[in-house]
Parts: sequence; C-alpha cells; structure tokens
Amino acid sequence: MTHPLLRIEDLRVEIAGRDRTVHALDGVSLDLAPGDSLGIVGESGCGKTMTALSVLRLLPPGGRITGGRILFDGTDLAAAPEPVLRGIRGNTLGMVFQDPLTCLNPTLTIGAQVAEPLLLHGSLSKAEARSRAEEMLRLVGLPRPAERMAHYPHQLSGGMRQRVAIAMALICEPRLLIADEPTTALDASTRHQILELIDDLRERLGMALILVTHDLGVIARRVDRVAVMYGGRIAERAPVRRLFTTPRHRYTQALLAALPERATAGRPPAGIPGLPPSLLTRPTGCRFAPRCGFAGDRCRTTEPDLAGGEHSFACFHPVDPAVTRTDPAAAATDPAAGLRAPAAPPERSDEPLLRLSGVAKTYPLRAGPFARRRSGEGRAGEISAVAGISLTVRRGETFGIVGESGSGKSTLGRLIVGLEAPTEGTIRFAGRDISTLTRRELRAHRRNVQLMFQDSYAAMDPRMRVGAVLREPLVIQGIGNKAEQRRRIAELLDDVGLPRGAVDRYPHEFSGGQRQRLGLARALALAPALVVADEPLSALDVSVQAQILRLMRELQREKGIGYLFISHDLAVVRHLADTVGVMYLGKLVETGPARSVLTRPLHPYTQGLLATVSPPDPDAAAPGTPLSGEAPSAAAPPSGCRFRTRCPHAVALCADSEPPVAEPFVAGHRVACHLV
Amino acid sequence: MIPFLVKRLAQAAVVLLLVSVIVFALLHLLPGGPARAILGVQATPEALAHFNHQQGYDRSLPEQYVGYLGRLFTGDLGESYKLNQSVLSLLGERLPRTALLAGLSLALAAALAVPLGILQAVRRGRAADHVLTGVAFLAYATPVFFLGLVLILVFSQELRLLPAEAPQADSVGGILADAPALVLPVVTTALGIIAAFSRYMRSAVLDNLGEEYVRTARAKGQSGARIMARHVLRNALIPLATLLGLYLPTLFSGTLVVESMFNYPGMGLLFWNAAQASDFPVLLGVTLVVGVATVLGSLITDIAYAVLDPRIRSVP
Amino acid sequence: MTTLALDATPGPARRTLAAFAGNKLALTGALVLLALLAFCFLGPLIHPTDQIHTDLSQTNLAPGAGHPLGTTDLGYDMLGRLMHGGRTSLEVGLAAGVLATLFGTVYGAVAGYFGGWADAAMMRVTDAALAIPALFLLVVVATIVTPSKPVLILVIASVAWLSPARLVRGEALALRGRDYLHAMRLMGGGGGRAVFRHILPNAVGTVMVNATFQIADAILYVAYLSFLGLSLPPPAADWGSMLSAGITYTQVGHWWLIFPPGLAIVLVVAAFHCIGDGLRDAFDVRLENLGRS
Repeated sequence: MTHPLLRIEDLRVEIAGRDRTVHALDGVSLDLAPGDSLGIVGESGCGKTMTALSVLRLLPPGGRITGGRILFDGTDLAAAPEPVLRGIRGNTLGMVFQDPLTCLNPTLTIGAQVAEPLLLHGSLSKAEARSRAEEMLRLVGLPRPAERMAHYPHQLSGGMRQRVAIAMALICEPRLLIADEPTTALDASTRHQILELIDDLRERLGMALILVTHDLGVIARRVDRVAVMYGGRIAERAPVRRLFTTPRHRYTQALLAALPERATAGRPPAGIPGLPPSLLTRPTGCRFAPRCGFAGDRCRTTEPDLAGGEHSFACFHPVDPAVTRTDPAAAATDPAAGLRAPAAPPERSDEPLLRLSGVAKTYPLRAGPFARRRSGEGRAGEISAVAGISLTVRRGETFGIVGESGSGKSTLGRLIVGLEAPTEGTIRFAGRDISTLTRRELRAHRRNVQLMFQDSYAAMDPRMRVGAVLREPLVIQGIGNKAEQRRRIAELLDDVGLPRGAVDRYPHEFSGGQRQRLGLARALALAPALVVADEPLSALDVSVQAQILRLMRELQREKGIGYLFISHDLAVVRHLADTVGVMYLGKLVETGPARSVLTRPLHPYTQGLLATVSPPDPDAAAPGTPLSGEAPSAAAPPSGCRFRTRCPHAVALCADSEPPVAEPFVAGHRVACHLV
Repeated sequence: MIPFLVKRLAQAAVVLLLVSVIVFALLHLLPGGPARAILGVQATPEALAHFNHQQGYDRSLPEQYVGYLGRLFTGDLGESYKLNQSVLSLLGERLPRTALLAGLSLALAAALAVPLGILQAVRRGRAADHVLTGVAFLAYATPVFFLGLVLILVFSQELRLLPAEAPQADSVGGILADAPALVLPVVTTALGIIAAFSRYMRSAVLDNLGEEYVRTARAKGQSGARIMARHVLRNALIPLATLLGLYLPTLFSGTLVVESMFNYPGMGLLFWNAAQASDFPVLLGVTLVVGVATVLGSLITDIAYAVLDPRIRSVP
Repeated sequence: MTTLALDATPGPARRTLAAFAGNKLALTGALVLLALLAFCFLGPLIHPTDQIHTDLSQTNLAPGAGHPLGTTDLGYDMLGRLMHGGRTSLEVGLAAGVLATLFGTVYGAVAGYFGGWADAAMMRVTDAALAIPALFLLVVVATIVTPSKPVLILVIASVAWLSPARLVRGEALALRGRDYLHAMRLMGGGGGRAVFRHILPNAVGTVMVNATFQIADAILYVAYLSFLGLSLPPPAADWGSMLSAGITYTQVGHWWLIFPPGLAIVLVVAAFHCIGDGLRDAFDVRLENLGRS
C-alpha cells in the first residue's frame, strides 16, 4: 500500500456517563490511502459513528480517546493540541453529518455558513469567500445558488440542506471527507442523488472518503474497501467485492443473510438473535459469540485478532470461502434458517375485506399535521394528502403501500384505521361503510382493524407497565375477566416471542426490536382481521428487521391476518407483500401483484423508484434512469398527471388531463399513465 | 410574516378589549357602584341616584359598557376626586417616569443577565455556577420591598453612599440628572428579573451548545469562543425578546412597590396613594393603562421576535 | 436491556422520589420547609407568648433575656410573633397555591383537550387577566373587599390560577397528539379514559412542579398585600405586615423588627423553589431514562 493518508492504530475511546462508562471503541485500526474510499458498516451501537467522530475529535460530552493514534497526513490527531486540530477541521478534513435538518444553524444564512470555513482557513476576503461559496453551491447542484445564498436552512428541503452541508464540508477542498450516515434521513430518490453527488465530487476533487452507514446497499457500489464493525472493534476488513461475495466473519455473513434483498421466497431474511453488546464492560472472548451459531468454547474465552492481509477478519470459525461463493448467505447464523421448507403461501380467500373507493383527504393549509408553527391565518388553500384512492384488500392478504415521504401513504393508513375521516369517498370493511356506523358499532368495529405504529414506544403510555399496555384493549372492549385477560396477555407474549415476565416491565426497558414485538402483540390483542403496519421496520437495524419480518409472516400464517403494510423500503415490501400499490403525491399510480409490479413496473415513477434502490451487491447492473428532482408540494399539486413534472417522458397531454387507470398486460396489474 | 402579524394583532385587539371588560367589571364590583366611587363615601342616596341617572349608570350593563368604551376612546378616564385633576392628565405626568424606571431596570437586567447566564453555562457544574445559582434562588425569593429595605439600610444608612429617596424632578431629564438617587430604585426593580433572565440564558446556552449545528461549526474548525459569539448567542438571544414581554407584568408590579418605597413620583406611587385614599377613578385608570401597556409591550416583543427569527420572518 | 430479571421495575412515582432524594438542593429545601413548619406550628408550645394583647410597657425592646428577638412597637414578643405571623403566611400561601393549581389545572385541561374555539376563547381570557399585573389587580380587589383569611385565599387564588392554566393547557395539547392516545382511540377508548388514564397521569409532574412555585408566589403575594397596607386587621399578623410595620423604625436601627420576618419570607420561598426545581429535575431524570436502554 502507498503511504496512507489516514492511519488509525489501536484506537480506544470511552464515553463517561452519569454513572457508567461505555467502552465505545476498543482497539480499532484502519488505513486509508490518498484518494481511496472506505465504507464502515455495522449495526447501531457498534462504534461506526464514534470512529468517524474521533478522527476529528468531535466526541460527545464525556467522550475521550484513551489510547491509540490517529495519524492524518503525519499528524497524530489523537494527541494534537486544539489549535492544530482547528487548522485541520473543515480545511483538509471535511465532515458531513446525518441529519441535515439539525446540523445547520437555523439563524444564519446559507451563504454565511458555507463561506465560514474559507474565512477561517483561507486568506480570502469576504467577497471572494462569498463568490467561492456560490460556486460551491452550484457544484453541489443547488438550483439558483446566487439567490439561495441569502436563504435560511428552513427554506430548503432536506435533500437541498444535505447538499449545503456537503458544500460546507468541501469548500476548502479537503483531502479526506468523512460522511456519517449522510443519506439515512433522506428519501430513496434524494438518497440516490446525494450519493451520486458525493461520488462525482470525490472524483473531481481527488479526495479520500470514509462513508459510515448501516445500509449495505449504500456502500456496495460506492467504496473500494469496507470495514465491518462489531462491538467497538473491526470484525472484518476487505475490498468491497470480496466482502459481498466471500465474507469470512460470521457476523458479516449474518448481516448479509438478514438483507431482505438477498432473501428468496424459500429463504426469508434471517435475523440475528439477541443484541449487540452494551460495552459497559469489556467482553471476554469474541464479542459476537453470544449471538453466533458457530461459537465454540474458544470464542467465549479468547478474543480473536484481526488477521490476514488485504482481506482480514477476526474469527475462529470463519466461513469456508468454497461454500459461500455459490450462495454467500446460504449458511446463516441460524443453521436451521436455510433448511426450513419453503413457506406455504398463507391461506387467503378472494373475499374482499377492505374496499376503498375514491377516498380523498384534504387538510386546510393553516391547520392539521402539515401546518407550520405560527403559519397564521391564510386562505392559501388546502393540502391534498390523499387524492382519490380505490383499492381492495382481501382477507389474509398482505397489501404493500410504497411511496416516498409526502406521498400520503401514512395518511391513507390513518384513514383506513379510522383515526381520521376521509373528505371524500367511502371505506368499506367487510361490506359495511365505516362512516355509517353508530358510535357503538364503531367501537365494536375497532376490533377488526388495528394499527402497528412506526414507533411502538411512542404509542405506549410511558407510565404503564407492559401488562397494563396489553390489557388496555381488552378492558376497553370488555373482553374477558381479569384471569382470562391475564391468560390472553401471556398468550400474546408467547406469540411474539417475549418472556411472560415482561408484564411487570415498562416499555422503556425494551430494545427497539422488542418494542415492535410489543406493538405487534397489542395490535393482535383484539384478534383483528386487518393490521395496518405503518413503517414498522424503518427504525430498526437490518438484523432486527429480519426477525420482525419473519414474526409477522409466521403470525399471518397462523392466524390468517391481513396486513396493509406501509413502507418506503421496496426490498421489504417485495418480500412480504402479495399485492403492491405505489403512491405518488396522494395518488395510487400503479397497483397489482407484487411480483409483476416490482419486476415489470409500468409507471415511470415506479420504474424510477426501483432504479434509485442501491442493491447490496457490488456487481449489480446499473439500473435504469433514477428519479431526478424532488416531489412538488401537496399544497399545489401539478395539473393532470401529478408525476409529470419529474417524468422523463411527459407530453402535453399529461398536463391537461388526469391519466385513466388501465390494466394493459397482466390481470390485476393496473396503472394510471397516459403513455402506457 | 404577514399572516403572523395579522393574527398577532387580532389577538392583541381581543385581549385589549377583554382588559377593558375586566376593568369595567371591577368598576361595578365596587361597593355602591361607580357613583359611590366617584362621588365619595359621604354622598347621599339622592345624589347617587341623580348621578347614576345623569351618567347612564341606571341603564343595562352592555349599554353602559359601550358607553364606557366610547369614553375610553376619547381619553376620558374620569376625575380623581382626591387630586382634583383628570386621571388622563395625571397619567400623562406619571407614565413617562414609570416608563423610565422600568426601561432602565430592564436594560440593567438584560445587560447583567446575559453575561452571567453565559458564564454559568460555560462553567456548568463548577463553583461559579453553583454560587450564581444560589444567588439567583435567593434573589427570586426576596420580596422587592425587603430587598429595597436592605439596600437602603446598607447603602444609605450605613455606608451613606446613596440617597434613600428617588429623584423628585418632574421631567425625565431632571430625573436622569439625579443619577445617584436613581441607583437604588433601579437595582431593586431589576434584581429579581436579573435572576430570572440569567437562569433562562444559562439553560438556553446549554441547550444550544448541545445542538448539532455547534458540532458542525466545530467540524469547520471554529474555536469555542467564536462558536459562542457567532452561532450560539444568536440562537439563545432571540427568544429573550419574548421573555421580555412575558416579564412586563412582573416588572410593573415591581415598580409599584419600588415607587412607593422610594417615593418615586410615577404611576405606581399614584396608584398606591389612590389605594390608601380609595380614589377609585385613579385606581382603575392606572390598572387599565398598565394592562394596555403590558399588552402593547408583549405585542412589540413578539413582533421583534418574529423579525429577529428568520424561521418566522421568512416562511417559504 | 439485556435480561428480564424476575423482580418488577419500580414505578414512575418511586423513580421520581428516588431521583428527588438524590438531589441535595431539593432535599435541603424540603428540610428547611419542615423546620419552618415546625417552628410556626409547634414553636408556640416551647415558647408560648401572648399575641393578642398589646403590652405598651414593653415596646421596642432589643433582643435580650425573655425576648430572644426583642419586642415590637406594640409590645408583642418578636419570636412568638414570628411564629404567629408565619402561620398566617403559610396557611394562606398553601391554601391559595393549592386552590389556584386545582382550578388552573382543570381550566387548562379543558381548554387543551377540547381545543379549537373553546380553547382560543378561554386562552384570550387568561391573556387579558395576565396582562394586568397581579399586584395592581390584587390591590384593587383588596380595597373593595375586607380582608379575612378565606377572602385573602380566594383573592390570591383568583390571580394565581392563570399560570397553571396556561401550563396545563400546553401540556394537554401536546399529550393529545401523542401516539399512545391515538392507539387508545383505535382500541375504542373515549375522552374520559384519555383524560383520566393518560393525560392527567402524564401531566402530574408538570402540575406538581408548578404547584410548588404557585405556593411560593402566593406566600409572596400575601407579603406584598400586607406591605401595601392590605392585611388582616390586628391583632392578626403575617410576615409581610410585620415587615412593613418595622419599616417605620429603619431610621432608628431596630433591625430585629425587619430582618426576622424578611428572612423568614426569603427562606420559605427559596425552600419551595428548591423543592420545585428538584421535582422538575426528578421528573426530567425519569423522562431522560425513558427511551434509552
């Protein structure tokens, strides 16, 4: 290897809390050559972000480097005095953070914030710095940069703010850019655009890149090498292609096996049981051993060292490269996973359970969930959140709703469960129009449809023990006496794989995955026929996602529940759904059998959406034209076809009239586009 | 910004109307009603009846309220029957003096509280923070009149540094010229507010230091002091505008006590003397004016806040 | 959380109490308050004095034998008067603070839960009442009515309820939008359950913290009213009236007439503030721990 630009040697970081200390990093070593790119991946809490932050010594309060060296261009950043560090930060070493909404100062103009590093590190005049800043904003693809210079962060969309953050990090043309989850907070199409931008700028400026992410899809085609972190250490380090084709560490293998993209009908994504170590104490032995299906006695007593050359790993029972070459995910942590017989498709009938016809929901602009704080009185109009949706969900079926944020998919979910009433159209459940139900009937109807929240924790009263949380639906609906209710709660906990002792605990004592299990248990308490699940996996790590996904499928098979599964994640929907509906700006643009819609999409939006997905496979063929631009506001949706402003094929007709729904090729596969 | 202004102005108008309703209601709560209040305790029942009829106080309450509101708009707040002067002209004399006292106290409070709050935030958990926190708690808990008394005892009686009586000049200029006499009243009025504002500044600076934009600024290579000056202060100071508005009632209550203690010829002293003499037209006139001043003051601070905060000034 | 041990987790109330007990400032405040209560209510048992009849042969005595804190201008024993006056201050302050909190909580919860026009109208009323500085309002009301303990309590509560009303209204508005209330509605639960099972228990912390500040404020109001000459008629006394009576003698240096009641007020108000601050931290600690595991 050439003389490295960055060399981290045996880095140790501790974070002291009120009454405990977390050993966040415990002997991390990395190398990065000039112009090279490295991805750091792992579950949350494994030390990825800490590694990135300690390079710039921007650790959170209580955090300090307790050992090791960070050599950047010959300077040891771990020991350098603060003024030396300040000369490097933002100058030769730039950083982009995860959340573009909070990482910009809300009360300074964009121009001032982008020019700031230049004024600190360069000898430019204010005017020169401003013109450089404007140039940089143009380079990162901010439309009308001259005008934007005087704007404040809140006037930009999330994607645009992330562009500004990138401009800020790159304005001094650093030799190394560290990007910590730069796209996690963004929508699929924006994510794709930002990643392309980073790629492009890296090439243009010839800088090195460290990309920290939990999303294997993000790094697959964007970095040269990958480091997999686990429990504050590096588990495996390899060139990107080698890592995806022949992972050696059992943790890497398990991570790959958990990806829904890599799952097939016969082999659902396999979760990794348990949780990453808390790092309050230094574990003895391999940190992954407690969750590893292959761990032996030696793994539990001796800590394996990172060994090997370009492809190194710290594992006593590495994956045999000969086995994985054929199917890298075949032998997962859970050896039984691969052997399980193909799941029988859940039983379902053609009986329509839920039927929506022409359902629309508009909010007045000055109130409702889209209102800005203190937006004031104005007759500016309405937000058209859901605009004329018709669909049918059959008993026992999984209907997936896909769309980006702002597409109205969550509003649709709220309408279906009856949290809000539609402004137009009817919702029929088992043939009955919900709006005609009396109070008493409505209360009884609640048993049929339940909602599984994105954040189950927020959906549970923090002052109630789990027992009370699960009992509440039974009490409200007057089901059973105390003893029966207790039995039912125990049953529910068994169903979702939680110990019965959980009833005496409070929701905050559970991990994210366990909370989603609790949320599912409560949704099932009333034995509903339909569960609306609103992004139930989006806050979870892949390893946990896979567990919940599997649980949902199993429960569906056992109990014949129907799901309306709302998600932005196409891979998850592909895996779970029988039928898929694609939403854009409140409209259902395409709907049909999942296989048909997701493999042969007809609508240009669906096609674009599929093309923005980065598959976790370095060899995946570059997909078609990804979506460009951003969705317009639902307060002023475009005339005719709402997608036309971003559609590569749009013609005059698209602006004039709304496209009719057609069913051109496959039965049940409907699309609303003039050009099909 | 415009919708915000419209909404805020409409709110202020409604509140002003309600303030007048409250004062009108107080007028009618008086024993013997407004006639007794204006004619005094010695008035005969016949005189009261005659007055009530003449002034329209025998009409229905809503009618009377409309009349009252009409008089308010012409500036007719009644006559003080102790001072033989119209309430309006009394207020015209006194209001500027109280405004001066309140303004000086507020300026002093802001000037001291901001650096103190920053100091506490920067030295969080250390001796300076603990000491200042303790002092702030005591300052909160000390009634204004006790504080004034202690200050008079120490600085006027023992040390003989400052006079115990406020300036007696008529004009604002004359009052300002007698600066030493102004020190104790201003400090007494300001202390509790200093405590409150410094507590706010401490927590606002701490909150902002924990924000991610501060980490971004550090990642650019900014130094701690410049992050404070350029990034944190701006964000912490803007909400202080609203806080100023919220503290106006407390401030006016303070001037009431301070003016009567230091014999400062402002609205508070006028009010206090009127209370001793049951001079109801003056009492209610001052109450109304103070209420209106508070409403307008908080309206101004809210607008200032909206102008200062770009998130409200320029809604996309 | 890695294991689910067998013993149940302590509930929120116990966690709050534990955090409170760990807060030195709050504990000090609570001890000071207890000491003051004992002084005022039990003190006369140890140091009995006549606080009804004046004794003009013993006026303005400096502290000394028999009168540890001297005597007043009317010949009352100062130490005994401090206990006697403290009872009035504490009783009126506590009663007014609690009354104001109760009424304000209900008012705020109603406004916040119903929202819309009812909320807007109810909040404009509090805005208007808050716009008139409390002391001005109190003085006007007190000149109209004749002070007695119950009247004093009512009058002070009538201005003090405004701030808890605002606070609880904000809390109710925020809680109303929480997902767990949506979840409850989806199970078929109604408004009663929402308010009594979810909103009120979750607003309890805020209300309790505010109540301590309300009591502190009410004690100060009692003092201010007395100072402005609107106190209970003698021989009744409270710390504020004692202090304003002592002011006349500032010039001649009768410090024992001023400092004991003044410091007593400072002490009791500061104690309530410490307790409130400690409670707030304790509730915050509870919230901080939630969501992190």
